[in-house]
Amino acid sequence: MKILRLIHTCFFIGCVLVGNFSVVAQTLSITGEVKTPLTLSINDLKAMPQTQVKAKDRDGKEHEYGGVRLVDLFQKAGVTLGGELRGENLTKYVIARAADGYEVLFSLAEIDEEFSGRTILLAHTVDGQALPQGIGPFRLVVPDERRPARWIREIKTIEIRFAK
Amino acid sequence: MKILRVIVSLLVFLGGLAALKAPHVAHLRPYSLVYPSSFGSRFTIPENNPLTEEGVALGRMLFYEPLLSKTNTVSCSSCHQQSLAFSDNRRLSIGVSGKPTRRNSMSLANLLWVKNLFWDGRVSGLEAQAAFPLTHPHEMGQSLEISAKKLSKTRLYPPLFKEVFGGATITGDQITQALSQFERTLISANSPYDRYLEGKYQLSATEKRGLELFMRGPAPERGVRGANCAHCHGGVKLFQEVFHNNGLDSIAVQDKGRQEITGEASDNGRFRVPTLRNIALTAPYMHDGRFATLEEVLDHYNERMFHPSNLSHELRTATNVEGGKTLGLTSAEKKDIIAFLHLLTDSTFITNPAFANPHPKNKPIR
Repeated sequence: MKILRLIHTCFFIGCVLVGNFSVVAQTLSITGEVKTPLTLSINDLKAMPQTQVKAKDRDGKEHEYGGVRLVDLFQKAGVTLGGELRGENLTKYVIARAADGYEVLFSLAEIDEEFSGRTILLAHTVDGQALPQGIGPFRLVVPDERRPARWIREIKTIEIRFAK
Repeated sequence: MKILRVIVSLLVFLGGLAALKAPHVAHLRPYSLVYPSSFGSRFTIPENNPLTEEGVALGRMLFYEPLLSKTNTVSCSSCHQQSLAFSDNRRLSIGVSGKPTRRNSMSLANLLWVKNLFWDGRVSGLEAQAAFPLTHPHEMGQSLEISAKKLSKTRLYPPLFKEVFGGATITGDQITQALSQFERTLISANSPYDRYLEGKYQLSATEKRGLELFMRGPAPERGVRGANCAHCHGGVKLFQEVFHNNGLDSIAVQDKGRQEITGEASDNGRFRVPTLRNIALTAPYMHDGRFATLEEVLDHYNERMFHPSNLSHELRTATNVEGGKTLGLTSAEKKDIIAFLHLLTDSTFITNPAFANPHPKNKPIR
């Protein structure tokens, strides 16, 4: 037992000394007007149905992004979509926030594929590779938008709110 | 009759609620904030601390009040001097202990729009922010309770607090609330750049070139030169609430910045992107005041950055040379940008008598 504790302590000190060791794995959380708030790791995301979309990034070149459709994540969290997206639920909006504090907004109707006919992807790969640091682990990809300002990099939280 | 009674009780109840929210303000004059419409209203003033003329005036007195420090020698204004856009000219500030604090004093312009304060964004709201420097052993070094007691013993303060907040005793929360009211009024919106945006200022040739470089991202493949400053420091307020690693160190060890708040390695060395308003007045620069001049800052971004793995994406990728690894501005271009940065100095902000020390010189009324 003592040895185990010692190993544990050494590991902890090692983490602190190295400093750059990620003690808290990067996650994505979905909160607000949801039935079930979610905090997802990269593995949770990989366990969900995967979708690929092709889109042009700021570099003007087309890339293939892989990840989970935002609507699927919203369904998992119990967000009012599809038949429920009517009446006051049409006054809901979504704030996506990056690790650096950058925020962008979508209306909920924009994200619902039945409604808008578009697929917004929570991507974790680009051209088959994990998204690099500074961009990933998660990034929103909005394929049909001409300016990628809402392709929010290092996305950390998604909050669904009512406009009041 | 019953309905009438219900309505009456409802009204009484609502009235009671309103009184709970702000029991003290009924007789006070509301303070009107004046700012350009382009600045927008994306800010929140706590419901229990509405701005009043009387509250702002009290906050201003407290801002310049050395009794709030352990040694009775340091006030907020010691490290936040109006002539320097409410910053100081030291690398690291000096408080009651005589030992340098950990970080460079930040300018207090346009805090109304800032949600999370400090270089690392550790606290939300000015009321909560104020408690840090007041009580930190290297800053003002005195508990809010002792500050409240000391103020209670003066002739000056008890009637002022009573007028603004009601109640018989001065509390620590009232001190931070009044300070916050004053800080929310510190609006800087009258620099030559602001006047240029209104069509009332003519740019010189170098200022115009500087503005264009400041605003544009470089695209060497299209022959566009730029410094991309506005990507992070853009907008009319020259401020966005984001926290970036700007390549000051290969790894931040002494001061890990935002990582110390979030615990996430990817936040190592990330600090607030500060406003560039009055930037020519707020030297030295960076969270640790390591750069003495704007020239050194430009040199850093142009050719001296480290490239940690979490370096800000825009800093990593911006270059004026095809395939280049650095920003690649010429020395003439850097001079143009600095000429533009001087346009951000708001001389009316630093001389506004409404923000100056209200205490009579040499005759402190206690």
